[in-house]
Amino acid sequence: MKERIRGDYGSMLRRAFISKGVDMVEELEVEEKPASDDITAPMYQWKDGMDWNPVEKVILERRSVRKYKDKQVPDALIRRLLEMGRFAPTAGNSQSWRFMVIRDKKTIELMEKYARGRAKFFMFWLNWRTSPLGKIAWLYSQIAIRIMHNDLHPIPLSAMSVIADGTLKLFHGAPTVILIFEDRRGAAKPELDCGVCGQNMILAAHSLGLGTCWVGLVELLKYGIKWRRKLHMSYPYRLVEGIAVGYPIGHPDGMIERELQEIEWYEDGQWKTVL
Amino acid sequence: MAYLTLMERLKIPTYDNPKYARSGRVTIDREKCNGCGNCALICPGGCLYVAGIGKDKRAHLMEEEFPNCMSCNDCAAMCARDAIAVSQTYDFGFFYKTLHRGGLCAPRKF
Repeated sequence: MKERIRGDYGSMLRRAFISKGVDMVEELEVEEKPASDDITAPMYQWKDGMDWNPVEKVILERRSVRKYKDKQVPDALIRRLLEMGRFAPTAGNSQSWRFMVIRDKKTIELMEKYARGRAKFFMFWLNWRTSPLGKIAWLYSQIAIRIMHNDLHPIPLSAMSVIADGTLKLFHGAPTVILIFEDRRGAAKPELDCGVCGQNMILAAHSLGLGTCWVGLVELLKYGIKWRRKLHMSYPYRLVEGIAVGYPIGHPDGMIERELQEIEWYEDGQWKTVL
Repeated sequence: MAYLTLMERLKIPTYDNPKYARSGRVTIDREKCNGCGNCALICPGGCLYVAGIGKDKRAHLMEEEFPNCMSCNDCAAMCARDAIAVSQTYDFGFFYKTLHRGGLCAPRKF
């Protein structure tokens, strides 16, 4: 009895099969399919220096789209994207998210208008370049950047100032917006799970010929009581990200060059740096 | 391995001065460019513009405002004639400086 508990289940099973007169090894052997020239053939196998398979191609060619056609996306297509998001891996299968799809042009415009007003308010206090407060704004921004160093990184800060100017729209004029809310009671890292699910959706959207863009500055909406009520942003749910979806103008997709970053690699008892 | 010194961690300049930060930079091949303006249309930083009349119409990179180019490479992906390429990535100094930097590289097959 002791031996059965401690022993590995593989050998236990094999013994059981042998006792039944079945040869386990022969049962487990899988026939290898011959590789063909079909484009979908290399999907589940890897060969040295092979060409990109369709999934890799979608990942590499996806670019964020910031100019959309006015044409509305069919709702079945949006449903399909959300279906892809539903099957994302999450911590403890908690699926701690809530989606909201907004396809009303007027509502999107109102959201953009509110975001612009809110950005103007923040820029009044924080933008030392344009604010009438001058040096006081510089002091405030120096303090605020040290507290919220991710939200006020130079790039979102300048994006916010461009939104305040009115030259950049929050959702880039996309006909459909998907908002992702995080359920704060979710397992482990609900915010990260929302990101994973959003990535599933935008890759699927790209493979179906749509353009997408992550909009992190939707967070501006959470400062308005009206929008908090309208979007049901109350206790367990918190607005994380928005995704603008639409048909892109032109063909903005393509492979590009990206920066290589050092990878530390530990193997055979020594460290090395891989690029 | 690069690291942040205490001074770099504490100091966050306003990045108005190019001395403290480096903007992304695109190189435009003037011979291949036909001035279609697609790159200027999609540039999220608004750092490209098209100037010139008729055959001399070309894309240009804005020089004055900073920071504009965030080296997203959208222009390179958009260009049908391969006339545009990003030659340098952006880097903010001090607190926001990029550690472990490598060169630009196209996707590689291993």
